[in-house]
Amino acid sequence: MEMQLAWRLFKRELLQGQLLLIVLAITLAVLSVTGLARVSERLQIAINGQASKFIAADRIINSPVKIDETILAKADELGLHHVSSMQFNSMVFAQDKFQLVTVRAVEEGYPLKGKIELNEKEGAQYSELPRAGHLWFETRLGGLLGYPKVLELGNQEFSLSAEIARLPDAGFNPFASSPVVLMRIEDVASTGVIQPGSRVTYLAQFAGEAEQLTEFEAYAKPLLNSSQRWVDVQSGDSPIADAVKRAERFLLLASLLGIALACAAIGIAAQRYCQRHYDVVAMLKTFGASAKQIRILFGVHLLLVTFFGVVLGLIGGFVLDGTITAFLPAEIAAYSPPLLRPILLGLATGFISAFMFSAYPLMRLLSIPPLRVLQRQLEGLQLGMWLHLILSLLAMAVLGYLYSKSLPLTLTVVAGVLLLGLLLSVLGFAMIRAGHSIGMKTTNPLQLALAGLRRRAKQNAIQLVGFSSALVLLLTILALRQDLLSEWQNQLPENAPNYFLVNIAPDESEPLGEFLAQNTVKTTDIYPVIRGRLIEINGEKLISAEQEKEGIEGRRGISRELNLTWRDELPENNELLEGEFNVNDNDVSVESGVAERLGIKLGDSLTYVIDNQNLTVNVSSIREVHWETLQPNFFMIFTKSSLSSFAHTSMASFYLDEGRSDVVLQIIKQFPTVSIIDVGNMIKQLRQIIDQVSLSLTLVLVLVILASSLVMIAQTEAGMATRQRELAVLRTFGASGWLLRMATGLEFALLGAIAGLLAVIVAEFTLYLLKTQVFELNVYMHWPWWGIAPVCGALIVALLGVWRCRQLLSKSCSELLKSPA
Amino acid sequence: MSEISAITVKALVKSVATQEGELTILNGINMDVKQGESIAILGPSGSGKSTLLGLLAALDSPSSGEIILDGVALHSLNEEKKAALRKQKVSFIFQSFMLVDTLNALENVMLPAELAGINKAKEKAQAMLERVGLSHRLTHFPNQLSGGEQQRVAIARAFICEPKVLFADEPTGNLDAANSQKVADMLFELNRESDTTLVLVTHDLALAKRCERQLLMNSGELTEDSEAENQKRAQKPVSLHSVGAS
Repeated sequence: MEMQLAWRLFKRELLQGQLLLIVLAITLAVLSVTGLARVSERLQIAINGQASKFIAADRIINSPVKIDETILAKADELGLHHVSSMQFNSMVFAQDKFQLVTVRAVEEGYPLKGKIELNEKEGAQYSELPRAGHLWFETRLGGLLGYPKVLELGNQEFSLSAEIARLPDAGFNPFASSPVVLMRIEDVASTGVIQPGSRVTYLAQFAGEAEQLTEFEAYAKPLLNSSQRWVDVQSGDSPIADAVKRAERFLLLASLLGIALACAAIGIAAQRYCQRHYDVVAMLKTFGASAKQIRILFGVHLLLVTFFGVVLGLIGGFVLDGTITAFLPAEIAAYSPPLLRPILLGLATGFISAFMFSAYPLMRLLSIPPLRVLQRQLEGLQLGMWLHLILSLLAMAVLGYLYSKSLPLTLTVVAGVLLLGLLLSVLGFAMIRAGHSIGMKTTNPLQLALAGLRRRAKQNAIQLVGFSSALVLLLTILALRQDLLSEWQNQLPENAPNYFLVNIAPDESEPLGEFLAQNTVKTTDIYPVIRGRLIEINGEKLISAEQEKEGIEGRRGISRELNLTWRDELPENNELLEGEFNVNDNDVSVESGVAERLGIKLGDSLTYVIDNQNLTVNVSSIREVHWETLQPNFFMIFTKSSLSSFAHTSMASFYLDEGRSDVVLQIIKQFPTVSIIDVGNMIKQLRQIIDQVSLSLTLVLVLVILASSLVMIAQTEAGMATRQRELAVLRTFGASGWLLRMATGLEFALLGAIAGLLAVIVAEFTLYLLKTQVFELNVYMHWPWWGIAPVCGALIVALLGVWRCRQLLSKSCSELLKSPA
Repeated sequence: MSEISAITVKALVKSVATQEGELTILNGINMDVKQGESIAILGPSGSGKSTLLGLLAALDSPSSGEIILDGVALHSLNEEKKAALRKQKVSFIFQSFMLVDTLNALENVMLPAELAGINKAKEKAQAMLERVGLSHRLTHFPNQLSGGEQQRVAIARAFICEPKVLFADEPTGNLDAANSQKVADMLFELNRESDTTLVLVTHDLALAKRCERQLLMNSGELTEDSEAENQKRAQKPVSLHSVGAS
């Protein structure tokens, strides 16, 4: 019987629109979770897929010794694709010329992700990799050796069959001093260049499904020794690692906040849902319904409401996913993450939030005394708001954890929401109480509004929490999204240099400059480059990693030669952290990361060996360098007077429109020893990733806007319920519809304005914490918001209030007086 | 009318705590209502009529005293047992009708029958609505019915479970004269047919007079209203009329 009755009530209430708000709130929560989980998973796979092209694989093990066969066997067992390669330096000879090169010896299957870019010659056919006995070479090697047909490497002669423009995992390193040649790993033995003790880097690259990769990582990582490195797209080797990490954090945070908002909407709607049924419960009890019957009846009723909302939410989530997918490039749309997780998450969200947020209002509903049929003012037991608060926070925590799988992040968000609620209620209550009571004249809408605001101080403070939380979260997400997007835009501005010229000899600088000027190509910066090794800090000799392993004691230094430059002004994308940039002749400016690693402080003296001569300089500043920008960056910057006497080459960068490759060909011909590095494709790929990330940020923002709007609508609905009887009484005494609408509008406008102001204050504070602690972004005040938020808050809330008021006033006085609040 | 008591009340006291101290609403009420009898409780607003009704109908608990309803001592029952008793033996009609807005006329009438697990609730509800002249309004919702029609639905709902005792709280209080007459006719007719005990709280002397006995509630005390007093009051009906239930 209870089931039938529950179904009947559900059907009727649904058709009459009484369940609209709670169903909408549940639908939105489920839709957000399902849609976001699926879309962000899809984008995540896409972003990682794009990002993995930069390392030509999903994971890499980089090792100075051969990689253990058991690790490779495990990869096979898990069904991962893998290729092995070697990298070493060696001399190559072409007739009477020779050159130090970096040899990359790869096996069939390389690269697992991305592709080798070749400078293709018309009519030529290219295989996937160099055939046995052949070498592919970097363009600048051709220039250096006079474009020979054959090269000698060790004991073996190789035919040169293709020019490499870029290897997918070459990274961005315009300083690479030796050009790269690519060969088959099978040919290495015949060259005889690898002898015991030779310095060789062994690389094993892996690709496969996320689940297998995670399992593989768990197995292989602990087996690696300290000289072996585990590399993935976020390891920092990839230029987009930082962007991906931040985007992931943002998506997660915004989704959690979106869920928290949708839950808040459910909470408010559930309270209204229960209040509306007070009379029904009283009546049922009067007619003898047992507590069990009523429990079952409303349990099933809420279950039906939730089920309906969940089904709509799941459908909405998939429609959202489908819509977004339609706008994505086919290559990304093809990724289809498993359906199970989003569905389970959606179901859990709907049922947990609906029942946990309704638990307290439902308890009150079930405890409504039957005597209410005679004494309408009677309500159920008052267990205290703390129980409601605990259950709501618990629901939020469970959902947050299920979604983020991160306990610290979940607890932070829950604690943040709790603090936000407390802060807003205290501030809101204080602000409302601070207003003056002007009385209740039924002629002036403003006086009526002010009086109403103060009289209902407690309810209004609760409403303020609802309105301002929605606005705070909205403003926070809006600002973070904007900051992240502009940060990435700065990283890759329009017309960012897409070509680098390196190894420019001093006597070539001038003619090259003239050539570029004639072709209307503007170089952005010219840096002299000198190689040198840091040997002492404050007179203390530095040792290498190898020496440290051999047991030699001393301060650890950098094992390799560094690219040094001179400059009088701080480069544009560098940030001065300490000291002053290169004031005296023997000053040097040090990058903050290397300064921290080597324990270098302001005033330290550093000694370098350059061209077999020692040079001692003093540290005058510490700089932060944004490595993710595709710009030449230096660990050490000297003054001109200390370095200009050493032999140097120069490097420059410029931007060239896509259709002007003829200029590049001319440079190659006229300046054969100058190397050209083309990073255009790399920039294009980076832009594509950033576009995808931006899309996901926008999507999350839209959902947060929807959730905020729903919270505001639910809050208005709840607010109007407390005003209904008063409106009815004023109406009965002859107050005009205009007066009542104006008064309600003004009261809500004042509430909205206070909510807007509070929201800006709290949002600025929240943004400060998030930017400094989580996103590492610049902190600044959003001054326009201080005007816009209160005005928009007032407008939105007032419009919602007037709209609801108009609906109420369309009823007759007796209807208003009789109908339950 | 039988000689068996449907309701027996002994030394009934109801007091509530207020900020000014304890307030006694009912002060030692004694009464006896026979099975099938109809009684009206009259009295000015605030005299305690509705409080007494709530106690008699097992909707509330007294501070002291005894109520025996159809042989069952109410003070010995917990809330669950009181609900079960109401389901089996008691029904109600309210001034504000108390229909469920979202259910249509038929579904509203079926509701107590379904709660009591009565078979063929729908057929019975249809028959009851036909009996009160609303067979053409079965699928109408309360907001599509007039006040008189809503109260007729409530009457049909009250009788569907064939209650032993029917409590009516100002059943015509929200209706105009014509509708009041119609509703009262229907109420007394059904009451007679089903031999139900009727306890009616009202300000309306004309309605009260249609009951077999009239009791007067004044400042928490109940007295038997004599014919003479009734006549006297009938000349000054205004004094007992006020808006809303007491």
